[in-house]
Amino acid sequence: MNAADQSELIRTAQGGDSQAFAQLLANQYDSIYRFAYRWCGNPSDAEDITQLACIKLAQTIAQFRFEAAFSSWLYRLVINCAKDWYKSQNRHQHDNIDHWIEPERAPDQTAENSIYLQQLLGLLDQMAEGFKEAALLVHGEGLSHAEAAAILQVKESTVSWRLHEIRKQLQLLQQQPDGSWELSL
Amino acid sequence: MNKTPMNEDDLKQLLQQQPPAPDAETKARHMAAAMAAFSAQQKPEVENLSTVATPANETCASEKKSNILQGFFQRLRLTRDTNHHGTKPMNTSSFEQRPFWQKPALISGIAASSLAVLAGLTFMQHLMINSDQEELAARIAEQSLSKTVPLIVQEPAAEASVSLQRVEKIAISPKMKAEVQPMALAAPAPMVEEIIVNQPSQEFRDRFEDFKENSVIATSENPVSTFSIDVDTASYSFVRRMLNNGQLPEKDAVRTEEMINYFDYAYPLPRDKKTPFVTYTSVIDSPWKAGNKLIHIGIQGYQLAASEIPQSNLVFLLDVSGSMDEPSKLPLVKQSMSLLLDTLKPDDTIAIAVYAGAAGTVLEPTKVKEKSKILAALNNLQAGGSTAGAEGIALAYQLAEANFNAKGVNRIILATDGDFNVGQTGDEQLQDFVERKREKGIYLSVLGFGQGNYQDAMMQTLAQNGNGTAAYIDTLSEAQKVLVTEATSTLFPIAKDVKIQVEFNPNTVKEYRLIGYETRALNREDFSNDKVDAGEIGAGQRVTAIYEITPVGAQSGLLEDSRYQPKNKVDASNSSEYAFLRLRYKLPSETKSNLIETPIAVARKVKINAEYQQEVNFSIAVAGFAQLLKGSNYAGNFTYDKVIELAQANKGKDEYGYRTEFVQLVRKAKVAQ
Repeated sequence: MNAADQSELIRTAQGGDSQAFAQLLANQYDSIYRFAYRWCGNPSDAEDITQLACIKLAQTIAQFRFEAAFSSWLYRLVINCAKDWYKSQNRHQHDNIDHWIEPERAPDQTAENSIYLQQLLGLLDQMAEGFKEAALLVHGEGLSHAEAAAILQVKESTVSWRLHEIRKQLQLLQQQPDGSWELSL
Repeated sequence: MNKTPMNEDDLKQLLQQQPPAPDAETKARHMAAAMAAFSAQQKPEVENLSTVATPANETCASEKKSNILQGFFQRLRLTRDTNHHGTKPMNTSSFEQRPFWQKPALISGIAASSLAVLAGLTFMQHLMINSDQEELAARIAEQSLSKTVPLIVQEPAAEASVSLQRVEKIAISPKMKAEVQPMALAAPAPMVEEIIVNQPSQEFRDRFEDFKENSVIATSENPVSTFSIDVDTASYSFVRRMLNNGQLPEKDAVRTEEMINYFDYAYPLPRDKKTPFVTYTSVIDSPWKAGNKLIHIGIQGYQLAASEIPQSNLVFLLDVSGSMDEPSKLPLVKQSMSLLLDTLKPDDTIAIAVYAGAAGTVLEPTKVKEKSKILAALNNLQAGGSTAGAEGIALAYQLAEANFNAKGVNRIILATDGDFNVGQTGDEQLQDFVERKREKGIYLSVLGFGQGNYQDAMMQTLAQNGNGTAAYIDTLSEAQKVLVTEATSTLFPIAKDVKIQVEFNPNTVKEYRLIGYETRALNREDFSNDKVDAGEIGAGQRVTAIYEITPVGAQSGLLEDSRYQPKNKVDASNSSEYAFLRLRYKLPSETKSNLIETPIAVARKVKINAEYQQEVNFSIAVAGFAQLLKGSNYAGNFTYDKVIELAQANKGKDEYGYRTEFVQLVRKAKVAQ
């Protein structure tokens, strides 16, 4: 699906055509879910975030002004949803342990990786605001620093600096004999 | 496998792993929810559209929903009363109910306080605007600083100046916000680069050759001491830099002879060019060990008259690698080189070669007359990249050979922090290369810059084997000293392969020790062997060497008498001399050495000149200081306070303030202890 088709679809959806919107959402659903999963590292949270994002998309599609790429706009939307969702979760004093892994839904290998991903995301969460987004966009989604900067609405240099900081933090992580990563100070 | 730090690849791998596919059922549920939201979103819009279509309805709706006369403006509404029973409340205070004499005060009070609020707001606004300006200016200054971290060697300076101009414009312009955006774009990713560049300097990686201090030698075992002269001054400048930072230098960085030879002792000049040196010797009591004596040897080189100064063919070989990108490095190099330019004659030629990742010629041999061209080439240089030093040196020799001046002085001046990390980087390989080139009559001088990654051993190797001197430039005033005040001695050699041999008289000297010159020691047989390389002396330069001796009969010696070797019978006929000094040198164009011989007498017949004595005493103060800094085993009961006392008493005229500075350094060393 090329860009022209996509913007045509968006325009139609903005006009109130629910068919077009359904088509658009079906196209984007997987990438929304993928990003949400990378954000939180487990399927159930990812689903919650995805739902939020879908509804948000429905409500705000009319506000998309074609000033930036649709994908950038969508990334920003999902990031905002994810942040909102986390805030609401923290308000409920959710214990991290019980939504860490759900082995019955994933093969072993994935479950193990999921643990490491959780650890990594935990580390990124501990860093200041904006670091996690930068890492996910550049390393996870494979965007360039400039693209990530456009999405996060910061300067490119800021993204580069954040990634550099993350790299420095990672140096402190030591791989344990059992393959897990642990913070060594 | 275990205990490896996590790296970026692990990070990527973790972040990029494909998440499990979304559950189809959930997906359907989400889609439905979204669709519901979407249609809910569309409905009010549809309603709105219908209201636009019927303007009559609209006015009515707007009247109904009017919220203009609400809240504060409530009293302006067209209602009869604020309460519903049409009476005026008695107990609520209102303006009308005030006694009439209170009304003016109330009104003026309200007026005054509203004025105060207005003034306060204006003031706050002013503050906010100004702070914005300051912050912006600071940020822009930072960015333009980091902008001078380009990666290309020959990038024109024009771009940098453009961005500077832009900075000025922004700082003045009232329409700041509009200008900020392009500026921010003009400085891509400055922070990361800055961090990466700065990191190495935090480490302490200065490299010095290890050496052990000369020890005490019994005259009966080895009466002959041989060494090459050393007119380098690098060690003193480096030590000064460290002390000025409040740190004691590492012991190997302190080379006593270079500390001593830093100062311009006013030994009387030789009369003519034929014998380019005069030697002066004197014997005085050791200030740090009672009973011991110091033999002070001063050598003064011939000073060239202005008319005698030969033409020079200089090649500046400048290190512009990334490691040179510090205020105390490349900018100082440029300033130093332009200083040197002023001391040259119009007919002299200059070429500039640089090296970073690769070596290149920046300026073909150019007459000093075309000064603006040379300066322009110098100022265009920017630092970045790795360091292919060996390649640079080869290129510089090529340039010097291409423009070889048989009558003049051909010299390469290498300015670097000594970090050669690309190409033949071993000290020894480079040494071989430089040695081979030396035979062709091209001198190599080394100017060291910077700190944190200073490769002193490499610089020494290059300068010693390239028939040159090594100086360390820590400040612009040091550049002034080396390249302007002492330009003739830096540039024009009057003798090469200068060696000193002292034979001690076993009848009068029990044991001796050479202070400093550890890295310059020669074998006894090297002295008369003209094939063996040694140090050079420039025009007007002076060299000082000091021996500490224990005379026969004194109790201050460190060595025990041998039980088995026959005791030396004191030969009365031969006991008027402590030692015999031999000095060998070659004139710059010659290959055969000349010999100067001077006996060092026990008792001096001629009265010592007070000025000369003062110079001797000062050099001994410096030697004592160097020994203390090195933590020498032979420093005796000398202290920093005694160094200060001795130096203060013998400061002399001190035209350039070097000796005053020395006293300050001793004080700093005392504090840094």
